[in-house]
Amino acid sequence: MTAQTLPPVSASGPILRCSNLRKSFGTNEVLRGISFDVPTGAVLTIIGASGSGKSTLLRCLNHLEQPTSGEIYLEGEPVGMRVRANGTRVADKAANIARMRAKIGMVFQQFNLWPHMTALQNVTEALIQVKGLARAKAQEIGRDTLAKVNLLNKADEYPARLSGGQQQRVAIARALAMAPKVMLFDEATSSLDPELTGEVLEVMRQLAKEGMTMVVVTHEMGFAREVSDRVIFLHEGQIDQDGTPEDVFARPTSERCRKFLASVLG
Amino acid sequence: MPETLRQSLDLSLFWEFRYTIAIGLLQNLYVFVSAGLLALTLALFIGLSRVSRHRILRILSTGYAELFRNTPEFVLLIWVYYVLPILVSKLLATRFSLSPFLAAVLALGVAYSGFLSETVRAGIQSIPRGHVEAGLSLGMSRFTILRRIVIPQAVRRMLPEALSQFVSLFKATSIVSLVAVPDIMYQISMINVDQMRPLPLYTGAALLFCLVIVAASQSINILSDRWRRRGWA
Repeated sequence: MTAQTLPPVSASGPILRCSNLRKSFGTNEVLRGISFDVPTGAVLTIIGASGSGKSTLLRCLNHLEQPTSGEIYLEGEPVGMRVRANGTRVADKAANIARMRAKIGMVFQQFNLWPHMTALQNVTEALIQVKGLARAKAQEIGRDTLAKVNLLNKADEYPARLSGGQQQRVAIARALAMAPKVMLFDEATSSLDPELTGEVLEVMRQLAKEGMTMVVVTHEMGFAREVSDRVIFLHEGQIDQDGTPEDVFARPTSERCRKFLASVLG
Repeated sequence: MPETLRQSLDLSLFWEFRYTIAIGLLQNLYVFVSAGLLALTLALFIGLSRVSRHRILRILSTGYAELFRNTPEFVLLIWVYYVLPILVSKLLATRFSLSPFLAAVLALGVAYSGFLSETVRAGIQSIPRGHVEAGLSLGMSRFTILRRIVIPQAVRRMLPEALSQFVSLFKATSIVSLVAVPDIMYQISMINVDQMRPLPLYTGAALLFCLVIVAASQSINILSDRWRRRGWA
């Protein structure tokens, strides 16, 4: 496989760049050379069968998984590694990785709210511990963000007393409060009952409309088609189909993509 | 037979010496609190090392926990009081000795840090990986995640198990009389030398231990219950 070359990142260039990304677990190569650019304000959706590497790809973008090779750039700055003057690449310091992660919001399939903290505390925790804001200021931002996801009235509830949809909206607020440059959604609605997915998708739709740059892994094909600027179909760790939602959903050129869509759209 | 039975149930002799015995009980409490704090501090470090990402730390801490969990407290106490000073004296070529109290605290503290480190390890491992990843994704350092996310939750989960470890530790303080710490058992054997009536004296001691432990663990349960339940419905 030849390495794909992308044009250099300029100030007006893509906010997020993934360049020839590879990831192996042992001898199992999960990602086999993935490259794409995400322009500011765009929504990129990644679809594909389970095991195609979607989640691993997303987790590499904020270095929750360490890529085997390849590079991630956020606003032109490498994520998770540094390039030395002589051109060799080394793993970045933990503090630098954390600094970059703080600019990348992530929403998980399992919400991952902290059960010993109220909704508001979940949202303010990183503002206080990472950004160093005073409690009062953090709570002000926290309340504003909870209001954005329509949960201001649940600010003082513990996660166990919230529905799945409410928990996921708190998790979105927790990521949003940090004012990230990019938001990653890892199957954000997959563990929700069907009647609860709507409220979460609505929040995501609203974010997209407001110009948030988003990378979304999802099984919600309707949402992908409606909200995305670009859709990537992943197959066995490679980009198999790539284009606008119209290209991918209405005129897929890849046989595998056609089959996949036929199976999920029924 | 009825006479001996009455003797064992008649605890008036025990009551007669209540001040001496209370002073002994105080010694047990001193040893318990000091050894408990030592054990808790050590257990936290050992328990964390056992789930560390560094292999060397994991191996060393597992060895420590296995060694002290599987050595009887009694043997440890004798070793620390009689053998350790000889070893240190030889190594440093100076005279070195431990007071009975220090030896008791050291031996029991180390022994129970082995047990408690297992509780700490299990508590930390019970926290879902996703809670840590959520913290990482927000830019938190591993230390912040440990301090703010993992430990507060782990402590709540560890509490019932830790409580039973502390009950065992308090019971184990009854062996410190063997190195002449003037605890309950020491005071009672002194009184017994004088009075020659072991039945009421040792029965009273058994009942006193039981009473103290039941009263303490019940009140801790009541006090901690609401705190542990908060947000976990």
